Amino acid sequence: MRKTIMLAALILGSALSPAYAASGPIKIVLPEEADLLEPCMATRSNIGRVIMQNVSETLTELDVRGDKGLMPRLAEKWEQKPDGSWRFHLRQGVTFSDGTAFDAKDVKYSFDRIMSDKNACESRRYFGGMTVNAQVVDDRTIDFNVDPVQPILPLLLSLVTIVPEGTPLEFVREPVGTGPYKLTNWTPGQQIVLTARDDYWGQKPQVTEATYLFRADPAVRAAMVQTGEADISPSISQLDATNPATDFSYLDSETVYLRIDHNIEPLNDVRVRRALNLAIDREAFIGTLVPDGALLATAIVPPPTLGWNPDVKVFPYDPEGAKKLLEEAKADGVKVETPITIIARTANFPNVTEIMEAIQSQLQEVGFKVDLKFVEVAEHEGYYSKPFKEGRGPLLVAAMHDNSKGDPSFSMFFKYASEGTQSGFSDPKVDDLIRRASAAVGDERAKLWSELIAYLHDEVVADVLLFHMVGFSRVSEKLDFKPTMATNSMLQLSEIGIK
Amino acid sequence: MLSFIRKRAIASLISLVGLLVLVFFLSRLTGDPASLFLPVEASEEMKAQFRELHGLNDPIMVQFTRYVGDVLTGDLGQSLRKARPALDVVTEAFTWTLWLASITMSLVAGAAIVVGSLAAFRAGGFFDRLSSILSLIGASVPDFWLAIVAIVIFSVQLAWLPTSGTGTLLHWILPICVLFIRPFGIIVQVVRGSMITALSSAYVKTARAKGIRSGPIIFIHALRNAMLPVITVIGDQAASLLNGAVVIETIFGFPGVGKLMIDSILQRDFNVVLAAILVTALAIFLMNLLIDIAYALLDPRIRH
Repeated sequence: MRKTIMLAALILGSALSPAYAASGPIKIVLPEEADLLEPCMATRSNIGRVIMQNVSETLTELDVRGDKGLMPRLAEKWEQKPDGSWRFHLRQGVTFSDGTAFDAKDVKYSFDRIMSDKNACESRRYFGGMTVNAQVVDDRTIDFNVDPVQPILPLLLSLVTIVPEGTPLEFVREPVGTGPYKLTNWTPGQQIVLTARDDYWGQKPQVTEATYLFRADPAVRAAMVQTGEADISPSISQLDATNPATDFSYLDSETVYLRIDHNIEPLNDVRVRRALNLAIDREAFIGTLVPDGALLATAIVPPPTLGWNPDVKVFPYDPEGAKKLLEEAKADGVKVETPITIIARTANFPNVTEIMEAIQSQLQEVGFKVDLKFVEVAEHEGYYSKPFKEGRGPLLVAAMHDNSKGDPSFSMFFKYASEGTQSGFSDPKVDDLIRRASAAVGDERAKLWSELIAYLHDEVVADVLLFHMVGFSRVSEKLDFKPTMATNSMLQLSEIGIK
Repeated sequence: MLSFIRKRAIASLISLVGLLVLVFFLSRLTGDPASLFLPVEASEEMKAQFRELHGLNDPIMVQFTRYVGDVLTGDLGQSLRKARPALDVVTEAFTWTLWLASITMSLVAGAAIVVGSLAAFRAGGFFDRLSSILSLIGASVPDFWLAIVAIVIFSVQLAWLPTSGTGTLLHWILPICVLFIRPFGIIVQVVRGSMITALSSAYVKTARAKGIRSGPIIFIHALRNAMLPVITVIGDQAASLLNGAVVIETIFGFPGVGKLMIDSILQRDFNVVLAAILVTALAIFLMNLLIDIAYALLDPRIRH
């Protein structure tokens, strides 16, 4: 009898087991240690990769795997009221990892905390130029009055992590959040351990515990996944990405471009800017100096971004056309022989030296005089951002821009608006489009961004857009996980499956 | 003997103080922490606020006076980046480095003295040639390359040792072996040279003439006299390990003070940089004192 029961149990067990996915602990090896685990700094990638949506959650969440757009997280739904303010309805039955219940007061407190001058919270920067007033309606409801009216407030709130009311205003070392995991061990210099919570409001993730290790050398990170010392290395070197079973490339939301300073002759002439674009053989870089899988850019933001315009075509490689444009400009008195300097940043991305040298020689072939200058981060910043130096010559600043937020507004304002910190020109139509697009919602918003992207690329010829870059990752075969554009800034453990 | 130690200690202290003053001012010249700590888009207002919060707006002499006062009371300030006391951050890292350096240097000193002495005993012989070639290679191979090759062979291919990190005793083997090679190569050469001189001296000939066996001649008579230059070089090499074997610590993910120092310099985390320099300088100062004492013990001419 006993045997029969055991046998039955065995059969039942084996029959049931496929229904339960496996679960267990994993190890993740990252290039750079998180120096802080402060929720309001989670927009910084080395911190966000560990705690964003794992420990600390946000009201809304942007879908980067599919095309669901903005999804509810701690807010169940939201609506804009006739006066332009936003009302958020919060999820019930959510608790923080310290046991306290989550309600609207925590949301207000979290928001006031990031705006406090007692700390240097990074998420504050997304609310520059706005006055935001959060008002608790009841435990489950909160209103945000924003001046000026902010149509993408729900998107902005995907960047604000929620902490319990009463969290010190100064940076904390032990983050408390509503997420599926809590911090259980942090040994600086060695490891950070997150453990799954039993009382999480959502679905229980398959990963029960995640240990984060930090190794600066990409070859070591790749070796660690190979030897089983780690299960995921989100970034490895292209050279090490040799095993198709575990290694693959993904679009990493970085865009490489040359920022043109339109204020200085000869770069103030659109023919000259167009000639710069026609002179570069972008295709030739792919698979040689730039990894296979990288895309040629027609916008400062990568394709999955709202409003990315498929009708805008990459400039063809046309050295003859470039020469002709330069001659035309010269005939009109434009000083096309003035030496132009490319400012690039040392070790900004792999092969930056070779890529810039190749671009320099391609530009010289059509008749430009080009100098190339490599500088360190801080000096590069001086060239890239306003105020620009007086008495400078014509400059092209080579830079890499990251936008994995799904909406171009941050990029467009900083790079192209007249008041943008890194904008090389001023164009009233661009300013107007940015203002209207930022204020629009839904299809109208996408349409306006598309229009702006086409106008910048085809009419203004604002800059020399080059490549949307790819990253390489190694994932153990026992895991079911594909990195996405967001992996650089966020690595949600609940999205990782165990085979 | 005591007055000798006192004199040496005072001389080293002066250089220690000079070093701290120099580092304080130099670190202020390398860039503004506000523009590095805050995001690119940060407004001037945010930067000003940040400087105010961390006392970076005050005149540099005011900052310096405050700094000296704090150091004297044992307060090395907070780490800008890690939001915890700078001294804690540094002592944690330094403990790791101290272990790594002392184990490695003990092994190096022991092995190099034996190998160097034996090589010198039959200078020009097979063992001498072999050890010369190997130690020259050891002294010239770049350690980052050696580290990566060692990981590929012993961790990836043979799967004997973990690639990197800490946790078990096995984790220590690769970093120690890689760190061992270069100082070993250098010290073997110094021991050999110094021993050849000692072995050709009159007292060794006398000892041989009296019929004493080779072992005692090498390791008792000659070695003690040949040790002075060797101790200097051991001190030099140990100091460079104490400063942090930056490359090795970085590759093996070893939480030592060298890696910490580089990271803090790049992040303009002044307090940590200054604390790290203070702690390592203090350690090197103590070690030099020990070396001076060892000198004095070995050579009566120095004592008097």
